[in-house]
Amino acid sequence: MTPQPPPHPAGWLAQAFALLGKDVRAEARTRVAVSAVGVFTFSALLLIGLATLTLKEVRTVNLLRLVDPITVASVEAQMRPAWDPPAKFGLLWVLLCFAAFTGLAHSFVHEEEAGTTMALRLAMLPQAVYLGKLLFNLVLITVVALLVTPVYMMMTGMPAGNPLLFLCVMMSGCGGLASAATIVAALAAKARGTGALYGAMGLPLLVVFLMLLINAANTLYTLHPAPLRVVRDVGGLLSYSVLLIALSSLTFHFVWEE
Amino acid sequence: MATLQRPSTTSQQPQEPSREAQQAGIAVWKWLCGLLMAYVCYGAFYVARGATGFTGGAGDTARIVFFHVPSAILSSVAYFVAAFYAVRFLTRQPDTETDVKSAIAIELGFLFCILATMTGSIFSHAQWGSYWNWDPRQTSILVMLLIYAAYLSLRGAVAENVQKRGRLCAVYVLVTLVPAFFLIWIVPRIPALASLHPPDTLFKRENTGPDYKAVLYPSFLAFTLLFIWMFQLRLRQVKLTMRREQARGYNG
Repeated sequence: MTPQPPPHPAGWLAQAFALLGKDVRAEARTRVAVSAVGVFTFSALLLIGLATLTLKEVRTVNLLRLVDPITVASVEAQMRPAWDPPAKFGLLWVLLCFAAFTGLAHSFVHEEEAGTTMALRLAMLPQAVYLGKLLFNLVLITVVALLVTPVYMMMTGMPAGNPLLFLCVMMSGCGGLASAATIVAALAAKARGTGALYGAMGLPLLVVFLMLLINAANTLYTLHPAPLRVVRDVGGLLSYSVLLIALSSLTFHFVWEE
Repeated sequence: MATLQRPSTTSQQPQEPSREAQQAGIAVWKWLCGLLMAYVCYGAFYVARGATGFTGGAGDTARIVFFHVPSAILSSVAYFVAAFYAVRFLTRQPDTETDVKSAIAIELGFLFCILATMTGSIFSHAQWGSYWNWDPRQTSILVMLLIYAAYLSLRGAVAENVQKRGRLCAVYVLVTLVPAFFLIWIVPRIPALASLHPPDTLFKRENTGPDYKAVLYPSFLAFTLLFIWMFQLRLRQVKLTMRREQARGYNG
């Protein structure tokens, strides 16, 4: 529409933070996204807990009954491949991915539903809209991860490994998830797609991301990993979200402008 | 076909001779493609002796490589063709034809991706003993299939508005370049995942003899020509369909 920036303050960064503030305030008022994601996540946690009930039971029963240490070791070894720390980590992120994809579609869809898209398009630069929505999604997914991860760790006994590295991997995970969810949400909202389309478009992006995450988790749970390996695996994970954000911000205005 | 049999259409329709001449010129490489493909089908069994150096023994099973590897390569090349047209659509030529070209590349990529998955699965059964064993390259081709399918479902969802469809699809192609890039070049090389796929077996001198390469390299050429040919055919078909619908007044 108008390539001229608005007369007042608002560089695109300020605009983006204004949008973030607006979304946070709107969310605080209605709590649609938080409650949807929260209820989804905790029911999924419950499902995982129930589904893995027998896995734990077999282990305790066998350990109680068997006396021979070699047999105990072999039972333990049988349990491990299905349920070792990287697998627990992977399952946590499967949970978070699905949770993100139930809630984060909301960010663009509600603008379309409320009919505020046009106003937003007039008031802000496309890049600012993208950044604002990305930041909001990042905040949302980080809050959810902060709430869910401790509960999940208590439930499944997932260790943290090196705390600093754990934090790095979790944060880059949140970044990747938010960046994938934001651009797909923008596309799906324009396509007037239902949730099914949103999932179908987003999940291929997340499969690769999950592979990188599990690769990083392998490093996380290795005792004294080589520094180069840490840089490579966490860096690989980070580069995924950086590339995705770069490409999305370059192409966003094609989606946003009519 | 009917126009080719009529000799004296020149006076009635002025475009005809140039188009026929054009077709005659193009037909040379189409013949070449057919001959090469026939040669590859023959040569895979009668010219090339088996190869050595594949994981899990070798020999005659390696003959499927002549069909498996070119389709696998084409399935990712098609993606970059689609991305090329997507960039062109967004920056230079926002017309329906560019959009359609991008979509056709995706359709063909999907087709070759399915072919590569099937031949690879057969090869995997013969070589490693199971049709599917979550080798990184098997996983990545599965995700490529998902990406192609997701693109096609997006395209189906916004069929009503051509311009919007073009923009959304082009953006989706460009965004999924990131996972495609990771899948093609990075995931198969993650050491923890330990791919069974050999990175350089085909090109080592001790593994494949000149007889093997005499079939392998023509096979790459033949598949590439086949891709171009199919691309053109599908483009013509889509254009004709669009013209017919316009004539009927659908204006799709």
